Amino acid sequence: MPTLRSATANGSLVGTPSPAAASTPRSVKRRLTPGRTGESPDASRHTSPHRFPHAGTGTVCIPKLLSASPKSSRKRLYSDLVAVEKPKWNPRDAAQMRAVKEALHVSTVPSSELVCRDNELRRVLEFCKACVEQEKAGSLYVCGCPGTGKTLSISKIKDSLVCWVDEMGMETPDSLAINCTNLANTSEIFGKILGKFQNRKKGSSKLSPLQQLQSMFSNKDSAPRRMMLVIVDEMDYLITRDRAVLHDFFMLTTCPFSRCILIGIANAIDLADRFLPKLESLNCKPLVVTFRAYSKDQISDIVKHRLKDLEYDVFEPLALEFCARKVAAASGDMRKALGVCRSAMEVLEAKLQYSPDQELGIVTFDHMDIALSKAFKSAVVDSILCLPQHQQMVLCALANTFQHCKKKATTLGELNKSYIEICRSTQVPAVGMLEFSNMCMVLSDQGFMKLGQSKEDKLRSVTLQIDRSDITFAFKGNRFFQKCLEQPRC
Amino acid sequence: MVAAVSVPSQAQTVLRGRLCDPAFVHSALRSSPDTNYSKLKYLVASSVSEACNNSVLLLGPRGCGKAAVVDMVLDDLRKEHPDAISVEIARQLCLEHQLSFSKMASSDDNTEFMIDMLQECGLAHKTILFVLEEFDLFAQGKQRLLYSLLDAMQSLTSQAVVIGVSCRLDADQLLEKRVRSRFSHRKLLFISPSLDDIQWLVEHLLILAKDSGLPAKYITDYNSRLTSIFSDKKFKGCLNSLMDADATTSNILRFLFRAVSYMDMESGFPSIESFLKALSSMQRQPKMDSLQDLSILELYILVCMHRLEDKEQSSYNFTSIMKEYRSIQDAYKTSDKYASTVCFRAFEHLLDRELISFGDNRGRNQALEYRPVKLLISSRELAQSLKLNTTCPVVLQKLFDRERYM
Repeated sequence: MPTLRSATANGSLVGTPSPAAASTPRSVKRRLTPGRTGESPDASRHTSPHRFPHAGTGTVCIPKLLSASPKSSRKRLYSDLVAVEKPKWNPRDAAQMRAVKEALHVSTVPSSELVCRDNELRRVLEFCKACVEQEKAGSLYVCGCPGTGKTLSISKIKDSLVCWVDEMGMETPDSLAINCTNLANTSEIFGKILGKFQNRKKGSSKLSPLQQLQSMFSNKDSAPRRMMLVIVDEMDYLITRDRAVLHDFFMLTTCPFSRCILIGIANAIDLADRFLPKLESLNCKPLVVTFRAYSKDQISDIVKHRLKDLEYDVFEPLALEFCARKVAAASGDMRKALGVCRSAMEVLEAKLQYSPDQELGIVTFDHMDIALSKAFKSAVVDSILCLPQHQQMVLCALANTFQHCKKKATTLGELNKSYIEICRSTQVPAVGMLEFSNMCMVLSDQGFMKLGQSKEDKLRSVTLQIDRSDITFAFKGNRFFQKCLEQPRC
Repeated sequence: MVAAVSVPSQAQTVLRGRLCDPAFVHSALRSSPDTNYSKLKYLVASSVSEACNNSVLLLGPRGCGKAAVVDMVLDDLRKEHPDAISVEIARQLCLEHQLSFSKMASSDDNTEFMIDMLQECGLAHKTILFVLEEFDLFAQGKQRLLYSLLDAMQSLTSQAVVIGVSCRLDADQLLEKRVRSRFSHRKLLFISPSLDDIQWLVEHLLILAKDSGLPAKYITDYNSRLTSIFSDKKFKGCLNSLMDADATTSNILRFLFRAVSYMDMESGFPSIESFLKALSSMQRQPKMDSLQDLSILELYILVCMHRLEDKEQSSYNFTSIMKEYRSIQDAYKTSDKYASTVCFRAFEHLLDRELISFGDNRGRNQALEYRPVKLLISSRELAQSLKLNTTCPVVLQKLFDRERYM
């Protein structure tokens, strides 16, 4: 359920927004009376979303009667009284363009709360709070596809936890964030954790960092007082053949005086089950929180949330919905959605450059369509069509070879023979063997086929790397190549 | 006394110098709109001016000018922003992976250094451009470098642009999910140019301008001759057959270089023959070379096989070839009548040269004389070899009915 805009925008200014269920739908006339700031969230429910998809300060003429009410509610209150003139976005203005691009950039972290991740954030926060309250160690595993907001959410959790702990008057936990791609050796992770605990005293101990940690957590005296939040990103780099490191890592929480709250982040949903079966018997299996891929509503909400602070409409609602639909159907990856939105804006910019007098003030469906096709196109069919003719014939020969036969590989000599057959039947003079092997190397460089190694050139193995149906699709309308492809082989 | 260098050889030097200079070759791209050069330049320039992070992949077959375009864009940027840094991580770093990491402490230190450097430059408002050539090689293994680089770009403190150059068209499919998610989907495909573009490029490269340091009269004569060659049908056919095999820019440059080198020094001007000679030296036909070396008996065998094919015999073997051969000998009473064993040796020789081959894949049990065979050369090639073979008897040529195939 999307958070109410008034709640996120002006958290403390508006009082408790009246719950939606309790209010009865009001007629238009009653809404027009001034002075009822408390009703503003309901008023927003009735305004058509197409007219005002973005909140913000419009240029509304506000009568002097209302003084201390928040801006957004004022605006909604008078939404039907006065025809709101939202300032139009001028894409030619460099400052405005830059502001929009910055708002949509992947590296921009929204300063306010994250939207659409409330459940997951709540679960993780409750888990951390419980651990801190009871002064017990615990482990948590966060999983999900790339681009679902895991790392972002966890860093927000860190801040919220610190705030909450301060409010409750307890000791602030330390925190350590490690990204496992930077570790040269998987067992280095223990060294890092140890290093954080022992800030000053770096004893030259004979024990390994893991053993030191374990001994530290087994004694009441040597155990540290404060809790430590350890966030381990890209945890699947810790997986080794014997899975020792991963086991030891999670088993740090079983030591009697352990003070770690371990949060591991990875992509695989079943990492805990597949790689850590022993943990379940030891009763220290981590709690699993799955960050599902974004749905289309969530994607549009997030983009709108990012553009919320801007005063103008940047995207046509239909365009944004189209983008959200396509990206959600493909992967649900937020980075991709933001990338596509930016690229749609670049399409608009490019169009503006070529037609200086046209009035284009918004990103339309067509721009989004172009941007989406650029993002989702598969280069294979287009690049097959752009190859020179002889290379295309070689691809046809290869496709023919694997048409009826079950085998997956052939040799360069055999391919040459089938290529010559095709050339003979279509009355095209074939190229010599040297050029033929050059062409095959070019094709393998581009990823269409793969050439093996051999002492003799003719015995090199050849496998097809692309789908055979791509080749047939590419030559669908071309009579010449239809003839080449129809040859019965094998 | 210094011998004066003749004007034609001067011209040759100028042309050869041009063809070997990538900056000159691709300089014509600067003027045309909507090329990959302009797109890349716009992308990098806007990233630098807006101080945001970006990544792009340049994909295309080898020799189509990707590195040249990148160099041109970098040159332009250096002129515009004299204080911008550019860093090149060439493929050597990837190959010497082991070496470089033993010199420094660990990959962790390396990536920390890189991230710190990115932060420093971000604070100093300088953008770093990373050019990764042979991008697909970086995608081998665990892709740690790519991940760290792209992850560092996600933070606000860094300003970097990553330009990946690769010849594999599916380079972005080679990336792991999480690396691909962080890499923007921008791709610039370098497709092979159309025939008009190639013609235009050839003109740009070969037409001499007024200020080339050569006498004006020579230049005008040269240019007019060149224009007449370009409109010749044979030249267009030459370019066509070149482009049918390999349409990349480097192939065209190789062709033009040879053509310029074959320029006739006596007349001092290029001619259509120099282009045709260059083409034939590039498109060698090893089969034709071996066809020219054949003995008369072998040629007889080939012609017999061809006649059998003409007579619509779908499959034939050595025995049927011998029958045909005997019938020819009986009809024409030539001096080339040989015994069966000798013929069989010639037959085996042809098999070795791969001018004929067996038509089936089994047949270890069957004797060689009974296995079906087929020709591996076309009628045109056979006709050409008969023409070029000086000792070929007239009878053979008549039997083959050469005119049909030339």
